[in-house]
Amino acid sequence: MSTLTVLAPPGEFGAPTPDELFTLPPIIPGVDWFTKPVLLALFASVLVIGFCWAAFAKPKLVPRGVQNVAEYGYMFVRDQVARPFLGKDADRWMGLLLTLFFLVLVWNLMGVIPVLQFPVASHIAFPAVLAISIYVLKVYLGVKHQGPVGYFKNMMFPPGLPKPIYLLLAPIEFLSNMIIAPFTHAVRLFANMFAGHMLLAFFSMVGFWFLFEALTPLGAPIGVLGVIMTIVLTGFEMFIQFLQAFLFAMLAAMYINGALHADH
Amino acid sequence: MSEQERRPETDGRDFADAMWSVPSYLLAGMAVYGGIGWLLDRWLDLSAFFPIGIVLGLVLAGYAVYRRHGR
Repeated sequence: MSTLTVLAPPGEFGAPTPDELFTLPPIIPGVDWFTKPVLLALFASVLVIGFCWAAFAKPKLVPRGVQNVAEYGYMFVRDQVARPFLGKDADRWMGLLLTLFFLVLVWNLMGVIPVLQFPVASHIAFPAVLAISIYVLKVYLGVKHQGPVGYFKNMMFPPGLPKPIYLLLAPIEFLSNMIIAPFTHAVRLFANMFAGHMLLAFFSMVGFWFLFEALTPLGAPIGVLGVIMTIVLTGFEMFIQFLQAFLFAMLAAMYINGALHADH
Repeated sequence: MSEQERRPETDGRDFADAMWSVPSYLLAGMAVYGGIGWLLDRWLDLSAFFPIGIVLGLVLAGYAVYRRHGR
């Protein structure tokens, strides 16, 4: 990556490079795997567990406090993700889908929380692990519910088509369902978080540079613009972070449903 | 469960299903037929089959989406 990015000469404005933003030193010297995103990922899982524990360990009939907030989240996932895609199987999968949604949401929100300020999913390993888990689950459920032959037969040779067409479409169906779908599942989340973090870092750098590092009469308006853009984009980014968490859970529900029931 | 019973609940799902599977179908179509075209080009020392394969893959992927979700 370093060959793509040219460092600005000292004294000139340089946009933050992906290398600077995403290659972070280990927190404890010598323990190379333990970097900021790893710490934040662990912190996020503790947070989600604690949150759900506080909310649902002793549920009250009339929800108050944390339970109230968590039930909003639960109802959102149930009504927007689980029920539209899984129908009568929705309740069985709520645990998984709610966990996915909350975890990815907290991971993403780490990107705009001051001090933390790093979206965990902008390192592809994290969304990849989730996507691979869903992929394994999808294939397992498909084989379990439709049989090892039936699953691939339903996927690649849906009934009601002339024979020669199958020959042309089967490779597309296979590649699309078995290889590209899990890939896009992870990359969609990763790319959004990566780009969002770059964008925010760029505009806050503009603001910082032109207002504090090198304040000039001509540069000041640009610095002000940078600060305004940072604020606007932070709001926008929070929307994207929520949207991506929702989409990740939604696609998981879609894949699970596709494995449980053959298409038409 | 019959098709009729499921209808009202699954309308939105079918649409979203189609929307979100379109990109992976298009990529898969281009990869398969573009790949075959590229191999043919390499073998025959031509440069015609790769673009033909890409377009054919896109058309077939569009047809696959239509067949699965369009009706």
